[in-house]
Amino acid sequence: MAVCIAVIAKENYPLYIRSVPSQSELKFHYTVHTSLDVVEEKISAVGKAMADQRELYLGLLYPTEDYKVYGYVTNSKVKFVIVVDSSNTSLRDNEIRSMFRKLHNSFTDVMCNPFYNPGDPIQSKAFDSMVSGMMVQAC
Amino acid sequence: MSTPDYMQCAEDHQTVLVVVQPVGIVPEDQFFKIYKRIASVNQVNIRDSQRLLFIRYRHHYPPENNDWGDFQTHRKVVGLIAVTTCASAKEWPQTSERFHGQKEVYGSTLYDSRLLVFGLQGEIAEQQRTDVAFYSSYDNCPDVEKRVEDFVESIFIVLESKRLDRATDKSGDKIPLLCVPFEKKDFVGLDTDSRHYKKRCQGRMRKHVGDLCLQAGMLQDALVHYHMAVELLRSVNDFLWLGAALEGLCSASVIFHYPGGTAGKSGARKASVSQAADAGKRHRPGAQEVLIDPGALTTNGISADTSSEIGRAKNCLSQEDIIEKYKEAISYYGKYKSAGVIELEACVKAVRVLAIQKRAMEASEFLQNAVYINLGQLSEEEKIQRYSILSELYDLIGFHRKSAFFKRVAAMQCVAPTIPEPGWRACYKLLLETLPGYSLSLDPKDFSKGTHRGWAAVQMRLLHELVYASRRMGNPALSVRHLSFLLQTMLDFLSDQEKKEVTQSLENYTSKCPGGMEMITLPDGLKLPPVPFTKLPIVRSVTLLNLPLSLRPHKVKGPVGQNMSTKSPFIYSPIIMHGRGDDRSKKIDFQWVQGDVCEVQLMVYNPMPFELRVENMGLLTSGVDFEPLPAALSLPAESGLYPVTLVGVPRTAGNITVNGYRTSVFGVSSDCLLENLVGVKSSGCMLEVVPSLPRLQLSTSLPRSAHSCGEDMSSSVCVQLFNGETQQLTLTLENIGTETLETLDVTSKVLSTKEKLFGEFLSWDLNQAKSCLPLKPGQSLTLTVNIRVKLDFSGQENLLQDLNDDGISVTGLPISSPLRQVLKPRTENKPVSTDTSKTEFSHIKTLEAVLYFKYSGGAGQVEGYYREVTLGVKVDVEPSVFFTRVSTLPATSTRQCHLLLDVFNSTEHELTLSSRNNEDLLLHASECQRMAIQVDKFDFESLARLQTQSEQTALGSSSRRQQEEERQQAQGGYINSKLDIRWSIPSLRRQGEASVEGVLNQLVLEHLQLAPLQWDVLVNGKPCDCDVVADCKVGDAVPLEVKLTNHSKNTVGPFALTVVPFQDYQNGVQNYDLQDAITFIGSNTFYIDTVNPSDDSVCVGALLFLYTGDFYLNIKFQEEISAGRELPPAWFCLPSVHIKAQEAVEAAA
Repeated sequence: MAVCIAVIAKENYPLYIRSVPSQSELKFHYTVHTSLDVVEEKISAVGKAMADQRELYLGLLYPTEDYKVYGYVTNSKVKFVIVVDSSNTSLRDNEIRSMFRKLHNSFTDVMCNPFYNPGDPIQSKAFDSMVSGMMVQAC
Repeated sequence: MSTPDYMQCAEDHQTVLVVVQPVGIVPEDQFFKIYKRIASVNQVNIRDSQRLLFIRYRHHYPPENNDWGDFQTHRKVVGLIAVTTCASAKEWPQTSERFHGQKEVYGSTLYDSRLLVFGLQGEIAEQQRTDVAFYSSYDNCPDVEKRVEDFVESIFIVLESKRLDRATDKSGDKIPLLCVPFEKKDFVGLDTDSRHYKKRCQGRMRKHVGDLCLQAGMLQDALVHYHMAVELLRSVNDFLWLGAALEGLCSASVIFHYPGGTAGKSGARKASVSQAADAGKRHRPGAQEVLIDPGALTTNGISADTSSEIGRAKNCLSQEDIIEKYKEAISYYGKYKSAGVIELEACVKAVRVLAIQKRAMEASEFLQNAVYINLGQLSEEEKIQRYSILSELYDLIGFHRKSAFFKRVAAMQCVAPTIPEPGWRACYKLLLETLPGYSLSLDPKDFSKGTHRGWAAVQMRLLHELVYASRRMGNPALSVRHLSFLLQTMLDFLSDQEKKEVTQSLENYTSKCPGGMEMITLPDGLKLPPVPFTKLPIVRSVTLLNLPLSLRPHKVKGPVGQNMSTKSPFIYSPIIMHGRGDDRSKKIDFQWVQGDVCEVQLMVYNPMPFELRVENMGLLTSGVDFEPLPAALSLPAESGLYPVTLVGVPRTAGNITVNGYRTSVFGVSSDCLLENLVGVKSSGCMLEVVPSLPRLQLSTSLPRSAHSCGEDMSSSVCVQLFNGETQQLTLTLENIGTETLETLDVTSKVLSTKEKLFGEFLSWDLNQAKSCLPLKPGQSLTLTVNIRVKLDFSGQENLLQDLNDDGISVTGLPISSPLRQVLKPRTENKPVSTDTSKTEFSHIKTLEAVLYFKYSGGAGQVEGYYREVTLGVKVDVEPSVFFTRVSTLPATSTRQCHLLLDVFNSTEHELTLSSRNNEDLLLHASECQRMAIQVDKFDFESLARLQTQSEQTALGSSSRRQQEEERQQAQGGYINSKLDIRWSIPSLRRQGEASVEGVLNQLVLEHLQLAPLQWDVLVNGKPCDCDVVADCKVGDAVPLEVKLTNHSKNTVGPFALTVVPFQDYQNGVQNYDLQDAITFIGSNTFYIDTVNPSDDSVCVGALLFLYTGDFYLNIKFQEEISAGRELPPAWFCLPSVHIKAQEAVEAAA
């Protein structure tokens, strides 16, 4: 399962970032931050081809020695990034997709909250617990 | 080969490598000057072959890299230019020796070499050598470029010959096997005659020839050779060289596709001279040749002509293929550990190509691969170089974040703990370069808009690193700046613990180097703008405060409407007012005064979890010379809104704008401008400063009251008086300002009160005070004000309530005891319960008035300003005496009457009451007594006439009722002045007057009034009034004369009067039966005709007394004829006539 999950606003600043507590949080910040380069590149490349019906799931953004970084972009250009441990080979692409879908649904719920101001950091408890569910417990 | 050249790019494959090196001692700057000049000759147009030769210059090249020269010929050093200084001819042999030594290093591969000698000129006896040039000095060497060009040409000749040599001798001798250094031992003892081996030799040679062709400017040839080499080598699985051949193919194709080069700006090639000549057609030199002889392929250029394009297409790789082939080549290189450098360089070259093609994703894959290429043990310097080049390449493909990441890694590498001498300066410089990647600018203004949005954790880390690096660099000012920036912009993201740490270290730094507002400019030109601490403390609102009431300047009002007329032709227009509202919105409608302390109130709060000490907090203003008086404050941790008043003194007059404030927090002084602050409420920041005015200080002889009566009062006095008392108040006005006081004006205003006040409350004489003017600073003047309280003495409100319904009527009732009965228990109650005492106090009435002192002087007066100091006067009026009842009794004379006053002493003291020509009356506490005063009746008509004359001019339009009231008041005053009732309390030594003004009602007044019809009765020619007894003789005719004088406004009459004589036996019996005692001579009825106003009429009759005795005459009106029915009966009040008839003898006696 994931070791870090991040939601990034349209303007590329983090709305939500959470990682497994055991490891240096800053490291994941760096990882997610640098992954945005690839996300942007992918969006701009896809955007040219077919603006309307592009795939939200961006796939593997880049692999590092220890982690694999996956990306997902909503139609409103909000990005989701999931960092997965490289050692976890059992994780299939489909599972990642379903994680993103869950994340997207939960994010939609957050946005539906009339008291949530778009652009503010996400502080929803429901969202938080959903993310916790996706994070590794053992790690 | 261990040192990769990260700067390599694909087109470097077509260059020849020339090493330029200093020999002996050459000053570095001079060497690089020469080096630069040499390096400017980076492409040479070979004269006869129309080909271009590109040269790559290096001033340092590791010889072991030279060993790979066979593998890729552009790695081979083919030329050497040595630069040396030679002071004298003696040194020459030694220098020459060294040059030769230098040549040995690259000896195996050198085609040619040159020596540039500086310092000597023609002093060498040796014969002219072609490879040595002499110059007198570094500055005087005009033909260096020319010489280098010659040198390059000579290299070309060798290159060309080599190419031709290698290209042609393929069928002849046995082809030698070219190999890279690490391969050499692998081929020992290999069968050199096998086909496989031969093919390998052929393939490698092909590749080599391809390289040479490429260098010699024959692109097409090179492509052909590379293709052949690829095929040959692929068949023998010679992967390293296959990779090299593929890379060569790619390079050639890249050169073909991207004549501009791939190295980016720094490596951009000079547009070739010939290209410039016919740039329109993009013809390269040699294009013509291609057309004539396509087979010759002697061109290095490309042509726009499709004909040549077709011929080339099969050899040249397409853009996609280039990347494919690069990938392949790199994968082959990857098979060999020792070829790491080659692989890395290939990656870099491929990335550059991809960057041009704008295929960032693929480029990032190449880079990702490059990151993992292990080059064995790298020195720290190489690591730094590697990371920074990675960063650069990421930047090239638009991955700024990744680029920043690697740059930061490089920066950290600079100061890795393993390095003995950490390069903090380099680290700092690299860190600065990462800022854009983390979308961080060092200008706090970029962060002032709204909430901060960014990667706070990452940015904070970077700022911490900047702080640390700058500190280690030994630039505390810089670290203070970065740290304050961190604190200012990242405040929301710092935990409480971090806030403490950051501020502590900031205080540590500032103890050495205080932070300021000046711009810090770094040596490389980067400017660090100042960081004002607008969040320490956070300011929520800014309010300019008006001066205290007594110091406020007021404008002398000009003629009415003057202001209006200048603004608009309309009296009122909402549209214009609205439009005007906008530009006025910032201007505040009160003024400050030059030289006076002015205040601005800020609402601040402290966001820090600890106490915040703000020092030197002052105002920043513009427009007027302003002397801020800084304040220091200490805000408790996480305080709520906290008011802070900043003060200052404007030194000149004009418009002042408050721009912001200055603080000093943690040793960092900051100028915070309001315009840059977010969420500050301000009601405007501009106002007018008027020229200086004098200042008056007011002190009084009476004690000041504890509480001010009104909030707009500068000061007030409080005094307790008995009703009717008069008190003197001495005021001292001192000029405590710096200006001379020139005018002073005093007015007063009684605050609206329900109490009816008689007489003037406050009175003063200003003339004496005015004689003291002008009042110089420090001087003072005194003014005496009389406070006179004269309230209603009737006590109706209080007392009548108590006696509510006993139907009090002024004339009728006798002195009633209920009053005393009611009041007595009250006074007894007083000490018992406080509650009742309170109600008792309600008897105390309060009078308030304000004295206004308008004064002006100095420059402010010229501008039309004045100041006003106010003094509130509050008087608690205790009741002294009350007149509980007032009635009149007719006196014996019709011209007089008795005024009966029931006086009640409401004080707790003994009180004496005096009135004009009456003896004193002693009243004990709460005692009521009747007092009778004989008064002459008043002729109100004449009084009213006097008054109306004066009033009609002043108050022409006052209503009738008002007039009536005023008339009554005037009458009261008049009566009062006649009565002059005074009280005194001997025990308290206080005295005052008592006024009946409020007591008198209409009925009493009428009684006191002299009737307008004046009747005079004359008996025997003598006026006869009540007490006067007229004497007459029995038997004599007594003439009786009745005279009517009409003082009223209307004509009266006619009247008929009947005279009825009677005798009073003084026992209640009146005898009217007197026909035999008195005889009328003539009629007993008098007729008076109509009398005009202020006229009189007399009628005369006569009586004859037949007997002696006391007789009375009752003169009656005959009702039938009386036309004056509507007139009040009081008007027909004739004196009764008392006649004593005597014998003639008696009378004589």
